Amino acid sequence: MPFKLQRRSFLQMALGSAAAIGAPTRIASAAAADTATVGWPNDVPSWDPNQRFTPDAQPIFKAVYDQPLDQDPQLKLIPHLIKSWTLAADAQSMAVELRDDVTFHNGDRMTAEDFRYTFFERIKSGIKLDTANSWKKVQDIVIESPTKATMKFDSPAPTAPQWLAFLGSYVVPKRYIESQGLENFLKNPVGSGPYRLAEYELNSRIVLERYDNYWGPKAKIPRITIEIVKDPSARVAAIQSGQVDCTVNIPVLEVERFQKQSGFAAEINPITRVILLQVRADLAFADKNVRLAAHHAVDKAALSKAFYGGAAVPLAVLATPGTPGYLPDFTFKYDPALAKELLAKSDFSPDHPVTIGFATTNGQFPSDYDIARAIVQMWKKVGIDADLQVIEYAKYFELNRGAKLPEATLYSWDNATGDPEIFSGYQLNPKMPFSPWKDEDIGGKVLTLFGVADYDKRIAGYRELERYAVENGATMPLLQSVVTVVRKRDLQYTKYGNGWLLPQTLQWT
Amino acid sequence: MIATVAQLVARRLLAAIPILLIVSALLFCALRLLPVDPAAMSLPPNATIAEIEAQRRAMGLDRPLPEQYLIWLGGALHRDFGRSIALHRDAGALVAATLPVTIELALAAMALAAFLGVGGGLLLFHLRGTLVEPAADLVSILLLSIPEFLWGLILLFVFGVLLQLLPFTGQVAPGLPLPHITGFLLLDSLLIGRFDVFLSACRHLILPTAALGLAFSPTIMRVLRSSLFDVYHEDYIQQARLRGVSERRVLVGHALKNAALPTLTLAGVQFGILFSGTLLIEVIYSFPGMGNLMVDAVRNADLPLIQAIGLTYCIVVLLINTIVDALYIVLNPKLRVR
Repeated sequence: MPFKLQRRSFLQMALGSAAAIGAPTRIASAAAADTATVGWPNDVPSWDPNQRFTPDAQPIFKAVYDQPLDQDPQLKLIPHLIKSWTLAADAQSMAVELRDDVTFHNGDRMTAEDFRYTFFERIKSGIKLDTANSWKKVQDIVIESPTKATMKFDSPAPTAPQWLAFLGSYVVPKRYIESQGLENFLKNPVGSGPYRLAEYELNSRIVLERYDNYWGPKAKIPRITIEIVKDPSARVAAIQSGQVDCTVNIPVLEVERFQKQSGFAAEINPITRVILLQVRADLAFADKNVRLAAHHAVDKAALSKAFYGGAAVPLAVLATPGTPGYLPDFTFKYDPALAKELLAKSDFSPDHPVTIGFATTNGQFPSDYDIARAIVQMWKKVGIDADLQVIEYAKYFELNRGAKLPEATLYSWDNATGDPEIFSGYQLNPKMPFSPWKDEDIGGKVLTLFGVADYDKRIAGYRELERYAVENGATMPLLQSVVTVVRKRDLQYTKYGNGWLLPQTLQWT
Repeated sequence: MIATVAQLVARRLLAAIPILLIVSALLFCALRLLPVDPAAMSLPPNATIAEIEAQRRAMGLDRPLPEQYLIWLGGALHRDFGRSIALHRDAGALVAATLPVTIELALAAMALAAFLGVGGGLLLFHLRGTLVEPAADLVSILLLSIPEFLWGLILLFVFGVLLQLLPFTGQVAPGLPLPHITGFLLLDSLLIGRFDVFLSACRHLILPTAALGLAFSPTIMRVLRSSLFDVYHEDYIQQARLRGVSERRVLVGHALKNAALPTLTLAGVQFGILFSGTLLIEVIYSFPGMGNLMVDAVRNADLPLIQAIGLTYCIVVLLINTIVDALYIVLNPKLRVR
């Protein structure tokens, strides 16, 4: 007898399925202790950690890969894969001793061969890697034993240790990559970190599983799911509804709202990232009076209060509190009257303003465009007429290289190491693409400091440089940036001064 | 009928060649007119000018535009759409990996839009001449004015945050696997026998599907209603009544079949627009589809990837129009050539 699906039966089946699918299941507000879900704003650019320098991706890379050196939560450099290191007095070589108990996730033992492969052979092979620039001074890495090697540089590299804990410096498995090929490595990445990559869906999620043979402290949570939620509102919604257990980089106003809710811990943490105005040494800013007036006219405390809930620390130098280059006693006051006086010396006034170009991104970092607009208003009051233009971050380096940036550019500069070379050194080095300020005076000082091997002398030099640069209007630091974190109250993590939220430090209490 | 449909498909395939050539050329030229430098974008920020120039030569960017286009076309014909500047992966492979997600979402949304559109159109027509008609009309206009991304945010807030009834990030719940066989998650989950994954995927699909479906159904609703008004004045409708056919059967069995034809044409056009409307919905709901990929590509000025995705959208729209026209022939006997 042929089966005839009656309308009633069909409706009953359909309703039953709909009930199963749509059954309201409260999203578990307390996840099982062996899992945690994190809402993350961006996907990794690639699973080759040496390929692209992307600050947002570093916490994820640090879960899957290891760096030769590491930083403690106060950003002090500490041993990691490297047990001990000795930078030569002239900073042209560095002897390292590696651990002998490190294995990659495929079981291969890590040796000095992998270290050499990562920081020398890969770079010399011509593959397009960002580490090719950060490690271009490496002339060779001489292997003395499976755990000992010496890096040789063609010129002084005083921040080589810092760079071994910085962007892109992750040891990758030589044998695995050479046998499987780069394409397979990108699809099935193998590192030596506390987690191995279990699942990956582009622009969707990353699933990490604890690596039980990890040489260091075992991660507390066996399985971490990182949901890529790009939209800040969606991240807010995700943590509010319990779909994620923790999230970062949500608007400050939302953090303040979460702070009033039980069940959540919401933080606004200052980090080693500086919001600044980069300036040119020419055009309308060739006049030092105009530069200094522009700096004195900016009310940094007001910007912090308006856009970061007062959590962003106003800065007078290109360094954040707690880092070696920071000058706690140096101030640069907000003084619109002084700004007007300085402008008057150059025959400018609110009625006869100087006109400058001012570039900003929109959405590159929190409240960037709003901060720029606020600064435009502050400048208007003293006699600086700023023509505000929005540029894409992708366009910034191109414009800078071609000397096409305007007089002032609002910029955000991340420095996870806290070292002053990567703060003011990179920002004021005329040979680097990170600043439009190009002059021989400050530029010469910076280039000299790049070759100073002695740590204390180098730091003292940068402190002096920072003061000098600000007093001459070569740079206008504004605020120490913040990172926002909202988590379920019983999910703890270790707070780092550079804003890292490392999966391996998460734990349920 | 089969012969007619086959002829139509053949004609459309032939016509697609020049259309795709023109679209790809226009897209190629338009992207190259943008003030971005793909060579510089593909290198680290501190690359020197000499290195950028060398990269520009390696990428063929120093050649005349027509030559660059022909090189690209040669690669595209061999399924090589270049490498993504930001992701350093084959652009074609990236599109192929994400396209099924978008198609699945778009098909689900279109099915919902059709269901709501036809149902709503019939209801609106049924209410004609009643006191409720103006209110129903107003509701349909109100629905028409809400764009899909606003629906997306409203539904996310109401059902995801306020009521916490439905999930709104990703394709499945954390802890469940994401099978990769065909790329269509609903199908793949059934193929591996994981009904829990299938159910989770369905739940995750509800809100984005509803956002798109609600945004696109009002147009179908209103066009169907207008078509029904036109069809109801035809003689065969009167004849059916005279034969004693019930009003319900007249509407569904006679009028709807003919009124559906213009609605079908519109639905085809709507699907093309809906397909591109998945872009914002995918971002809001963190769906790893082609739209999400496109947003990143535009943000990073990733020209090869933008080109590959743009071309894919064009192919999908052409395909949809061909399917709609074929269905039109199936439904309309007058178009069949003997």
